[in-house]
Amino acid sequence: MFDLADLQGNILRGYRKPHVRYLILEIADRIAARRWLAASISGRDDGVPQITTGNWGAAKPDTCFNIGLTYEGLRALGTPSSSLEMFPNEFIEGMTARALKLGDVGPSAPETWPSPFDDPGRIHIIATIYAGDVRQLDQVQQRALDRNALTLLGTREGHNFRDDFVHFGYRDNIMQPRFEGVHDPQRHADGQPRAPLGTVLLGHPTNLEGLMWRVPQPAALGHNGTFNAFRVLKQDVVAFEEYLDQAASDLLAHPHVDELLSPGAEAKIGQVMSVEGRHGALREIVAANLCGRWRDGTPLALSADAPDPDVNRANFDYDRESRCPYGAHIRRCNPRGGQIVQRVANNSRRLVRRGMPYGPAYDPAKRDRDKPEPERGLLGNFIGASLGAQFEAMSCDWLNLSLQDPRITGSNDPIVGANDPKTSWFDLPLKSGCTIRLRGLPRLVWTRGGAYTFLPSLSAIRFLGSQMM
Amino acid sequence: MMPSDEGLLDRFVDWLPKNLVFKRVASWTLVPFWARWTPVKPLPGGPHPSFQHGDNVQCMMNLIMPLKIKSPIGRAEAALAIAQNKDAIYAGLNNVGTVHFARFVIVGDNICMFSVYDGDFTNYIRDFIATIGSVFNAVVELVEGGDDVIPCEEKVEAFIQWVHEHDLYQVPDTATDFLRDQEALNGDGAASGNDDLTLLPRKMVLQLRANANVSLGSGYRAYPGFSVAQVRKQLGIGW
Repeated sequence: MFDLADLQGNILRGYRKPHVRYLILEIADRIAARRWLAASISGRDDGVPQITTGNWGAAKPDTCFNIGLTYEGLRALGTPSSSLEMFPNEFIEGMTARALKLGDVGPSAPETWPSPFDDPGRIHIIATIYAGDVRQLDQVQQRALDRNALTLLGTREGHNFRDDFVHFGYRDNIMQPRFEGVHDPQRHADGQPRAPLGTVLLGHPTNLEGLMWRVPQPAALGHNGTFNAFRVLKQDVVAFEEYLDQAASDLLAHPHVDELLSPGAEAKIGQVMSVEGRHGALREIVAANLCGRWRDGTPLALSADAPDPDVNRANFDYDRESRCPYGAHIRRCNPRGGQIVQRVANNSRRLVRRGMPYGPAYDPAKRDRDKPEPERGLLGNFIGASLGAQFEAMSCDWLNLSLQDPRITGSNDPIVGANDPKTSWFDLPLKSGCTIRLRGLPRLVWTRGGAYTFLPSLSAIRFLGSQMM
Repeated sequence: MMPSDEGLLDRFVDWLPKNLVFKRVASWTLVPFWARWTPVKPLPGGPHPSFQHGDNVQCMMNLIMPLKIKSPIGRAEAALAIAQNKDAIYAGLNNVGTVHFARFVIVGDNICMFSVYDGDFTNYIRDFIATIGSVFNAVVELVEGGDDVIPCEEKVEAFIQWVHEHDLYQVPDTATDFLRDQEALNGDGAASGNDDLTLLPRKMVLQLRANANVSLGSGYRAYPGFSVAQVRKQLGIGW
């Protein structure tokens, strides 16, 4: 089977540390960089931080350290060309070359990304530090930076908000795939089949029956490795809240508003969500429909009329009676067992997500309209054994083209999609089966950087760190 | 220069490319010389990348695959391979859900597969491999170079790449777009601007030398693009 100690530690389980820092690194010297890699798995705790492996179990380290390598990074290390050419095209080309598939167009286009993402050829390694506080991040960073081996091009830093809430005010961190053969007591039944290990690790059976992804050779390099789409996603919380205001005002005047929110029903929504009046409740209804979850995490598939703190937030499916909109964000990203056009794809595009917000939480009371809002967003990692078959397929076909359901084809994901208010639309389902069409959705999320990285196994780090390669 | 200012020599030079004898001679002599002098890379096949919804439905795939056995026997084998897999092909169309139609044609000693599909090319081929990979294997087995990429289920990435390489370049409808494609392939950001578009551009001649089979345009539709599922839903036949 496989040995947890051969995997990097953040792949099958998240660390749930409150702080993260990404070090974006260029290899300055090939030999010194290989020595640095070898030192990162040497078991000696005095120099280069040790890579956290998958068998951290109950004794979670105070700080965790992991690395991902870009294709340029593998080249810079001197990886043999016979190995390099076995990596998949999307990884070789890199995230910036795949912009159209990912919706990175207009203000999200790679040409607009700030340093260090404006020079993707220099990004070789993205090292990640997870810790309990910023002081620990600083300490690990200091130990990680070997100036002979690596040049620090830039950093990105994120931190958790209370109770797993994120910008836009939703509770996140509810769902992750459960894997076959992996004991994970934190995860309970979620109404979906367990994902085969090949969903997230190279060299194992995938979710598409009989299909195997190519494993770069030698096996020590490719086996048990995986790929990560690292994304810096800026979120415009002001635009989001203003859109909710606008949509709620429009809905108040809509002839079918009582079907969306029956008279008096605002009290229950107000009680759970701490909002007032019909306008406040309608804002929450719009927010819930755009995402597919109420902002407290209750899935609309289980409770469409009001949030319910008592439901199991993970365990549900999309049946024909479901009142989760077909175009809602979580339904697009993971249609579960619901009817979709590409029937073979129901469970095959799943991703492991590891993300943390960056920038200060939005507080409307402290908003100064005379000053620009500070940048805030998500530092996201979207991990899967095939970037093409999982992350890109989801982004291209489901978030933006919306091919999965003819009732949404032609619209974009309401939250992360490349929306233009002049053409965007979103259908709110009503109990009667009719819909109310919202229009004018603005673009809420901009890509501000990112890279495709390979997350090597410990054997691969040993291989890449050997001077004999 | 005004037309009235044209001298005899100008008129002779303008007349030359319209002359059949000159075209023949130029094809044998000038074109190979140009090709050596200014080599041209073949442009990649498939639809032009676009973010517009309408450009990403009803996309064309045009595969021309030379048969290993270039004889009536080879052609008959290809015809049988398709006929024997008819049921699997229908099952694949039904389950993949993003293909409008697929046609198989034999032209000379080539088996051609033409299809119209929605969305991303790699997703389309990958979903087909997952659904009816055996049909691909039965066809590609008969084709030059096919043995390296089958069974497609075990060589997914290589198979998709191979299909992409056999997909015909789709010549844009305007000569300027064609020239931009060529410049982009060579990594030239700025347009060279020195091509007289009223004449047959040399780069187009050379591209068609490097890329003998191409698609002219990206298919012409009598109505705006719709996905398979949109059409099926509208017709009330389920999707």
